[in-house]
Amino acid sequence: MSTIMSDSRPYFEDYSQKPMQRQFSPYADNGGSIIAISGNDFVVIGADTRLSAGYSIYTRDQNKLFKLTDTTVLGCSGCWCDTLSLTRVLNARMQMYEQEHNKTMSTPACAQMLSTMLYYKRFFPYYISNILVGLDSEGKGCVYSYDPIGHTERSSYRAGGSAGALLQPLLDNQVGLKNMQNIQKEPLTIERAVGILKDTFISAAERDIYTGDSIKINIITKDGIKEDSFELRKD
Amino acid sequence: MMFLTRSEYDRGVNTFSPEGRLFQVEYAIEAIKLGSTAIGICTNEGVVLAVEKRITSPLMEPTTIEKIVEVDKHIGCAVSGLMADSRTMIDRARVECQNHWFVYNENMSVESCAQAVSNLAIQFGDSDDDGAAMSRPFGVAILFAGIDEKGPQLYHMDPSGTFVQFDAKAIGSGSEGAQQSLQEVYHKSMTLQEACTAALNILKQVMEEKLNSSNVELMTMTPENKFRMLNKEEVEEVITKLS
Repeated sequence: MSTIMSDSRPYFEDYSQKPMQRQFSPYADNGGSIIAISGNDFVVIGADTRLSAGYSIYTRDQNKLFKLTDTTVLGCSGCWCDTLSLTRVLNARMQMYEQEHNKTMSTPACAQMLSTMLYYKRFFPYYISNILVGLDSEGKGCVYSYDPIGHTERSSYRAGGSAGALLQPLLDNQVGLKNMQNIQKEPLTIERAVGILKDTFISAAERDIYTGDSIKINIITKDGIKEDSFELRKD
Repeated sequence: MMFLTRSEYDRGVNTFSPEGRLFQVEYAIEAIKLGSTAIGICTNEGVVLAVEKRITSPLMEPTTIEKIVEVDKHIGCAVSGLMADSRTMIDRARVECQNHWFVYNENMSVESCAQAVSNLAIQFGDSDDDGAAMSRPFGVAILFAGIDEKGPQLYHMDPSGTFVQFDAKAIGSGSEGAQQSLQEVYHKSMTLQEACTAALNILKQVMEEKLNSSNVELMTMTPENKFRMLNKEEVEEVITKLS
């Protein structure tokens, strides 16, 4: 709209105000937590099933565990749309590998490929906290954790996602037996690992509003993947 | 018409003849029969590669002829044919092996490596963005010797990009006689030592020059030592055992 002012210069509304900044926000944080614990011949991974945005809950029943092979499972939390995209590309890459090399990808190979895939989006990263678990070539359980741009580390247990920082010290104490005195270190059993995993999620649901409703658990052994679930508080 | 029986169909690399043949590819396969002989033998203990080096002048420095090359620690290649062409193919094999390690943190299998080089070998007909196609197929035959999760492996690839696994294979000018001899001496329970002497024995039979430690190259590929070129002294030791 232009009107003639007293000094006879045209007046444009758009140019009369202070500069305004517009922002592109391509990311969402949909929350969720992942926990993985490995033993000598097994690995368990659990993820909560709450998908949220701020104070609202999109669904109470969202599986965040993705089966890549018979011995490899990926847990994703963070930006759900990025998770959808990443897992689709990942599945395509798994299939391409299988057809090119006539074999199924090993867990360590998956782990390295995921790292390079994440780094290739170094300047527009997938906003996901990934934890990859499986059995290595010797049949030992392994846990790989990632940051959004592909830094990776192999460890024997890990917590990630919205309550990751809250839960890791609990695992350090209960699984890693850190800061404990006069205790006997004995090999972890599947029952104990699943027990710790459930207890840890109960703790997370108490303090983290993005973690709750229920958890999906995958128990991976040489005989295959067994699924389990467990209810958490829903408030 | 004054055309010969093969008429013009042997000109373009993208044109089948009416009988369904690609003459340029067939000529390339003929071309490797002019190359120096190379032999590969696969045993349970490992793979042996042996090649002859044609010393065409006494003023030539024999060590600069390199017909057995390392592709990765666990894969070695012997080549016969146009050496300049082989450089391009070996380069591709090396890049693919390193890329596989980079992406998957594991050694590339021998078959996958052969597949990768095969993909390059059949690109002679393709044209890229600037319209230029390769002028001809590669005039090279390659023996891939390697160790992967399936154990010791030997693959052969010809200029058409076809690759096949072998227990024992000879390529180059003496390949026909050598292949016949390989069939006679090869058995499943051969030791690596036996394979080394057998390879040199057969080379000795098919070479025009008298075999010595400077006109052959010998490589062993074992699970323990992976790619290992035998030095002059070690080659001489094998030569003393020849019949």
